[in-house]
Amino acid sequence: MAESEISSQAEPGWAIEIEKLNKTFAIPFRRERLHAVRDLTLQVGKGQVYGLLGPNGSGKSTAMKVILGLLKPDTGRTAIFGQDSSKVESREQVGFLPENPYFYRFLTGLETLNFYGKLCSIKGKALTDRCWELLKLVDLEGAAHRRLGGYSKGMLQRIGLAQALIQHPRLLVLDEPTAGVDPAGARDIKDLIMRLKEEGITILLCSHLLAQVQEICDRIGILHRGELVREGRLEDLIGIENQTELILEGASPEVLKELRAFLEARGVRALRESKPQTTLENYFLEVTGEEGQS
Amino acid sequence: MSEAPRTEALPHAFFSWNRLWAIATNTLTELVRLRVFYFLLIFALLLIVGSLFWSKVTFQQQLQTLKDISLGAMTIFSTLLAMLATSMMLPKDMEDRTLYTILAKPVPRFEYLMGKLTGILLLLGLAILAMSLVFGVTLGVRYFQVAQQLQGELGGATSELMQPSVEALRAEVFDPDLLIAIGLLYLKAAIFAAITLFLSTISSSWIFTVMMAAIVYLIGHFQGEAREYLMLTSDGSWLTQGFLGVVVILFPDLQLFNLVDDIVVGAGLPLSLAWKTIALGVFYFFIYTAASYLAFSSKEY
Repeated sequence: MAESEISSQAEPGWAIEIEKLNKTFAIPFRRERLHAVRDLTLQVGKGQVYGLLGPNGSGKSTAMKVILGLLKPDTGRTAIFGQDSSKVESREQVGFLPENPYFYRFLTGLETLNFYGKLCSIKGKALTDRCWELLKLVDLEGAAHRRLGGYSKGMLQRIGLAQALIQHPRLLVLDEPTAGVDPAGARDIKDLIMRLKEEGITILLCSHLLAQVQEICDRIGILHRGELVREGRLEDLIGIENQTELILEGASPEVLKELRAFLEARGVRALRESKPQTTLENYFLEVTGEEGQS
Repeated sequence: MSEAPRTEALPHAFFSWNRLWAIATNTLTELVRLRVFYFLLIFALLLIVGSLFWSKVTFQQQLQTLKDISLGAMTIFSTLLAMLATSMMLPKDMEDRTLYTILAKPVPRFEYLMGKLTGILLLLGLAILAMSLVFGVTLGVRYFQVAQQLQGELGGATSELMQPSVEALRAEVFDPDLLIAIGLLYLKAAIFAAITLFLSTISSSWIFTVMMAAIVYLIGHFQGEAREYLMLTSDGSWLTQGFLGVVVILFPDLQLFNLVDDIVVGAGLPLSLAWKTIALGVFYFFIYTAASYLAFSSKEY
C-alpha cells in the first residue's frame, strides 16, 4: 500500500497504528517458516502509555522492530502519527531504548548524547543545552564526563533513555527499560516514565515486570505465540466487576464487628479481611535508605 | 522536565553530510580509543632494528632496503588495519544494540554505512600519514648519515667529483614516485576496506568476515597469474572466458596495485600506468561499496 493510502486511513488520534501485521522468519535447513507475528492489529492513542506484554518469543520485539523500520513486514501496515513507519522520516518523532543496551563504551555520557543529537540534526548551543538538560533529567550530570564503559546497568539504562529523548520525540518505544536494574534504579526509571507520561509523550512499553506495567500503563495488549489474545484498558481487563475494595484507617475491632453485621444484614458477603501491606519494593527501598535519597 | 526551548523539528533531509560526518568521526574516535595506533610503535621498531643490519651493504642498497621494508610494512599494516577495523564494525554495533538506536533515529541506512566507511578511510589516512612521517624521518636521517659517510670516504675529492654521487643519493631519497607509491598503498587499503565491508554485510560474525577477507586477499594476489596461465593453457572457449570474467569481477586483481617494487629500485613509473591503476582502484572501491549498500539495505536486524 502506498504511503498516501496509509495516511488517508490514519485517524488523527493514533500515535501508532498496526494493521494486519504478519512477520515470518526462515528457519535454517527447514522448509517451514517461524510465524513471529500473526495478523496483529492494534492502535495506540496519542499520549497513552501502552504496555505490550507476552512471554519470551511471543512476538513483542518483532512487532516493535517493525514499527521502528528495523524489520520489514511480510504483510500488513504500520504507521506512526499517520506516517508509514518504514519511511526514515517517521523516525523524527520516535525515541527508542532497546533491551540491555551498551552503546559506545568508549564515549562519555555527554559525548553519547552529542552523537545522537547530531544524528537528529541538532547543532550548536541547542544541542549542548539539550544534552545537559537530559543529563540533569536522568541524574547523570556528575557522570557526564565518564566513559560508558564504567557505567552501571542502571546508569546505562538512564543514558539510554536520555538518548531516546534527545530530539523531543512524541513517541517513546521502550523495550524492557528496567531489565537487570536494581530496585532503586528501576524506581528512578519508572518515575521518569511517569513524568514523560504527564508531559503527554506517547509510550509503548514492552516488559515482563507486570507489577510495573500495571502501575504505569493505561492500556495493554497481550501477545501469545505471535497473536494478540487480549487488548484493552487495564482497569477493564483486570478489574472484578462485582467486587469492591474498601481500605479503612483507625477502625477499632468494635467498629469492624458492627460493620460486618451491617453488611451481612444487607446480603453483602465480605470475602477477605486483612491488613494492607506495603510492596516489597517500598520496603526494600526503605531498608536500604534509597527511599530517602530519591 | 523540559525548561529549555523545544528544538524546532526540521524537515527531514534525504541526505545529510552532518549525520554522515557524525558517524564517521564517531567511528574514528572509537578506533583511536581502542588504541589501534599502537601498531605504529611496531612499525617504528621494525625500521630501527632493520637499520642495524644495513651497515654491510652499499649506500644505495641501504636506502633501497629502507624503502622496501618501509613500504612493505606500510602495505601489510594498512591492509591488516582495513580488514580488522572494518570486519568488527557492524557485528559490534549489532552486539551492543547501538545499531538499533542509530537506525531508530532518522538516519537512512546508506548514511550509516557510508559514515562507517568514511571513518575507516579517515583512520587509514591517518595511519598511512603517520607511517609515512616515520618513514620520511628515517629516510631523511639515513640520507644525511650516508651523505656524511660518503663525504668522509671521498674526503680528498673535489666537489665536482662528489657531485654525481650526492645527486644519485638525493634522487634516491627525494623520489616523487614514492608519494605515488604511498597513494596507491592507500587506495589498495581502501579497496580492501570496501571488500571487507561488503563481506561483513553478508556474514553474521566478524570471524567469518576476517576469514573470507583473508581468502579474497590471497585470491586477489594470485588471480592475475592464474588468469594468464588459464588463458595460455585453455582453448579460449566462452566458458573459460566467462569464468575468468566472473573471477575478475568478484576478486579484484590486487597485484596490479603492487607497483612499489619498481618504485623502490628507482625505475620510473609511467604516469599513464599510475592513472590507469588509480581509475581501476576507484572503480573497484565503488563497486564493492555499492554491493555493500545493496546487501545492507535489505538486511533485517
